[in-house]
Amino acid sequence: MRSLPLADPGTPPTSGPWPLLGWLARKQAGPLTAAVLLGILTFACQAVLPWLTGRAVDGGLTHGFGRDLFRAVTGLVALGLVSAAASAIGHRFDVTCWMRAAFTSSELVGRTAARSGHTITAELPTGEVVSAVANDSLRIGEMYANAGRFVGSLVAYAVVAVLMLRVSVPLGLVVVLGLPTVAAVLGLLVKPLQRKQAAQREASGRLTTLGADTVSGLRILRGIGGEHVFTARYREQSQKVRAAGVDVAGTQSWLDGLQVLLPGAFVVALVWLGAHLALTGTVTPGQLVSTYGFAAFLAWPVQNATMMLQAATRAHVGAAKVVAVLRVVPASGARPASAAAPAPGVALVDETSGVRVDTGRVVGLVSADPDESAAIATRMGRFDDEAEATTPVLLGGVALADLPKEEVRRRIVVAEATPHLFSGPLVDELDVRGVADRTHVSHALALADAHDVLESLPGGLDGELTERGRSLSGGQRQRVALARALLTDPEFLVLVEPTSAVDAHTEARIAARLADARRGRSTLVVSASPVVLEHVDEVQLVEDGRLVARGRHDDLLAGAAGADVADRYGRIVGRRLDEERTTAAGGAERTGGAS
Amino acid sequence: MRLPIADGPTVRAYALGLLRAHRSALTRIAVLHGLAATAGLAGPWLLGRVVDGITHGTTGGFIDRMVAVGLVAVLTQAALTRYATRASIVFGEQVFARLREEFVETVTTLPLSTVERAGTGDLVARTTNDVNRLQHAVRFGVPRVIVAVVSITLTVVACVLVSPLVALALFVGVPGMVTVVRWYLRRATPAYVREAAAYATLNGTITESVEGARTVDALSLGPRRHRRVRSDLHEAFRAERATLNLRTVLFPGVDLAFVLAPAAVLLWGGWLAADGRVSLGAVTSIVLYGYQMAGPVWELIFWVDEIQVAMTALARIVGVQLVAPDRTAGTDRPVDERIAAEGLRYAYREGHDVLHGIDLDLVPGERLAVVGPSGAGKSTLGRLLAGIHPPTGGRVTVGGVPLVDLPLDELRGHVALVTQEHHVFVGSVADNLRLAAEHADDHALEHALRAVDAWDWVQALPEGLGTAVGSGGAALTPAQAQQLALARLVLLDPHTLVLDEATSLLDPRAARHLERSLSAVLAGRTVVAIAHRLHTAHDADRVAVVQDGMVSEIGAHDDLVAAGGDYAALWRSWQHEA
Repeated sequence: MRSLPLADPGTPPTSGPWPLLGWLARKQAGPLTAAVLLGILTFACQAVLPWLTGRAVDGGLTHGFGRDLFRAVTGLVALGLVSAAASAIGHRFDVTCWMRAAFTSSELVGRTAARSGHTITAELPTGEVVSAVANDSLRIGEMYANAGRFVGSLVAYAVVAVLMLRVSVPLGLVVVLGLPTVAAVLGLLVKPLQRKQAAQREASGRLTTLGADTVSGLRILRGIGGEHVFTARYREQSQKVRAAGVDVAGTQSWLDGLQVLLPGAFVVALVWLGAHLALTGTVTPGQLVSTYGFAAFLAWPVQNATMMLQAATRAHVGAAKVVAVLRVVPASGARPASAAAPAPGVALVDETSGVRVDTGRVVGLVSADPDESAAIATRMGRFDDEAEATTPVLLGGVALADLPKEEVRRRIVVAEATPHLFSGPLVDELDVRGVADRTHVSHALALADAHDVLESLPGGLDGELTERGRSLSGGQRQRVALARALLTDPEFLVLVEPTSAVDAHTEARIAARLADARRGRSTLVVSASPVVLEHVDEVQLVEDGRLVARGRHDDLLAGAAGADVADRYGRIVGRRLDEERTTAAGGAERTGGAS
Repeated sequence: MRLPIADGPTVRAYALGLLRAHRSALTRIAVLHGLAATAGLAGPWLLGRVVDGITHGTTGGFIDRMVAVGLVAVLTQAALTRYATRASIVFGEQVFARLREEFVETVTTLPLSTVERAGTGDLVARTTNDVNRLQHAVRFGVPRVIVAVVSITLTVVACVLVSPLVALALFVGVPGMVTVVRWYLRRATPAYVREAAAYATLNGTITESVEGARTVDALSLGPRRHRRVRSDLHEAFRAERATLNLRTVLFPGVDLAFVLAPAAVLLWGGWLAADGRVSLGAVTSIVLYGYQMAGPVWELIFWVDEIQVAMTALARIVGVQLVAPDRTAGTDRPVDERIAAEGLRYAYREGHDVLHGIDLDLVPGERLAVVGPSGAGKSTLGRLLAGIHPPTGGRVTVGGVPLVDLPLDELRGHVALVTQEHHVFVGSVADNLRLAAEHADDHALEHALRAVDAWDWVQALPEGLGTAVGSGGAALTPAQAQQLALARLVLLDPHTLVLDEATSLLDPRAARHLERSLSAVLAGRTVVAIAHRLHTAHDADRVAVVQDGMVSEIGAHDDLVAAGGDYAALWRSWQHEA
């Protein structure tokens, strides 16, 4: 059995669901052919069994315990063994086909998600992408897993038809035409059942969400009480699910009853017809037994055919959803590069605002509107080529959008305000470029004042970060993300509000170390915190999207760029203090009044 | 520390208790299915009679009578199946609804310290995956197992009734089959659990890639994320291959029994029939019964397998009930609103005290700022003061009664905690608020929202108070989420509030806005504000400096500055920077 996933998933057509399904089939032509051949063998053997049973009965009747009986029984055992073996090996190929198709589409979705940047979240809800792997890929696989049994069933049906028609034309016709009719009638009843099941699944899905929500919000629930309100809501939804289930039970029970009634009535009719023919000697008792056996057996291929129909429908729906994910085009780097990268030692300039990071400088970026400064920093990361066509950022005079994207990512790293931590061993998650040793990693943690994380994480550097770093506090997450960004050690490092969630002492320590560590490397820090700005080489002040002043923090405050700039700058970097002081004083006054 | 998982005997006792509690319903279902299965046995028996009739010469009238009996049997079986199916689904729904409701009730009353140590991930998995896995077994598995067992038993009984001598041959393949099935079932559960875990990991990886798409792009994590998907798929492949290998033994092992049985019946029956000891019709009936048994046997094996897997889910669900409660409500009631801490100690891990004996008296109506470096124990102190964790040593009292001796509902009327975490619960805006005051009318909700300056945006939502928010609903900004939390406090109306950096995760602008809303909530209450910005301290009535799990200084801002200690040094550096 070939190990999966395959070395290269390949490039699938994304023109539609059928081309994707066809491409997947061609990619696994070998196992698929084997599955089909084994399916045919299994079912052909099974189809002959009732015929041999009838022969055995007749043999026993006419010649007693003798050669005819032995021959028929030997045949039964031989065919049974072949069928059992073919079925077991066939199952292995069925599962192989299933895995190849399901894993290939899963990997393609995973690859797209890893490559597409934020476009994927903009175009599709997260749930849809996850569902493309969790559900749709598996459904696609099911179609291929059913293929062998489906073709086998068709062949078995043909074999039975031939055998039956040879025994008796009327009996044969009743069997060959009757069962599909029964299946079709039952098929009609499946629709309302599926509707009700879907309603219950939906209610049940809401209940699951509610349950997961309770747990996620448990800490908050604990802070304010409300546990029993929540339990009551859960119970209410749970009872809705139960009611929907009872609704399903109504339809399901009728369907189950009819599934007994229709085929049963069909077999009764067949036996009646066959027995009368036997009475006149047209068929032998053994052939009557065969007829009964065929009728019971044929329910199986008919069921397989129905399953294949449903599997193919679901696979088609699933493939359409997978294609929707595969069609996502990354917002940056989709076009080939048109310019060569400039040599190191050049400046990074945001044309629109005039903000620039000269080589080897640690620059602080300040704006009265934090969104504005964050937007400038984000532009420097080249996340959206189209949106930034009108707001170019130049590296040594070349627009970022014209450079090879890997080159941009290698030289410029933008760590945004809400970075995402991934699950995995801390040391691996910190060293994303995979080039640092453990000393470097520890050093970076120390730089970001994140050493306490090693203590709270069992296993220290080798400890597992949980999804989104949820086991860490908000401040710890921010400091870990900062350490991660520092470890990439790029030519240009852009940090957006890197210390907004840490206390003042820690912020001061980080700011001093950060400036030291990046000395000689180009760095831009977006922050309005005086504790940070004090340590940078140069502050650039932006107002209404334009650079209005630059200089050292102390100089700007002292009026080096003019008294009005000093005034406005002072208000921005000191504002948090002033305004909160007013608020807090207001609160305190009222508190004082009431007590 | 992980959440407990119940051991085998506990789970079995729980499952048996559940079955016993519903004994009469289960019996009724088994009887209905039994009757239906009995009617289903008519076919082969009738065919045997017909074969005998034809061999020994009979009339069309006999055949018509036999066929009429067959038709009646089919009608009866269909009708009984309908009622049996309905009864068993309704039963499954009922039992399962009660089970999951009890589980969620247990979850909401778990000690928070347990939840935090175990991480919420495990608990979320138990609430979703395990509950869903169990649901499948309870809803479909239990009824199907009943049907299969009843059918197999009755078919064997029918064979024995037709001819005990011939029926013996049916069991020729049974020893082999039992050996193979036992071999399989012993290995199947861990193998399928591993398979499920592999897919859960894969889905988690994809979720992370998508949710963190921006970071993936910014740090060029694409190839690394792709590798992660590939390694998850490889684990899924290995898990699938393991279960496939198990089935490669199981399938032919069971098939063999069904190949041998009819052959043996025909040979043995043929030999007996040659002597005239049994009729050929009897042999025919038993051969057909043999074929008919394959369905229920396969179904039984399948469901025993599924139920084994479900038992592991049940072990995790029952395990949650094994967590000992961290408090029991007493009968003493507070005499006043004074909160005091005496000799407070706390350890998250045994032997590692985070707080080393803190004494603190809150003056009703005062505003106390708690400052100090990260990791000094400020948040832990806040949680103990809010009665979230029972202290490992010492006690926190309100009006002379330990907080942890109060019933939860009453405790929240005294003191509430707001942290930097924000979470919008699934449901409407009104649902989110009513968590704090179940019976508050819309007017009260509006008043609370106005107090925190949130009425304008709530009103602007598509359906106002009724707008669905939280996962899947309208998206709220972190600041809006925190405003809802504050509005809940207005409704809850405790006399003491603990604010643990309630605004620190918000961006500076949102934080400023929110703090305006906050002042409305604080009016007239005792407030403990844990803060990392010193200006909060400046305006408080008293400041407590927490360092290394101790209160190193406490007093009014001016006094502390004048005293020239750590706080004074901090304050000077802050002022200089500002």
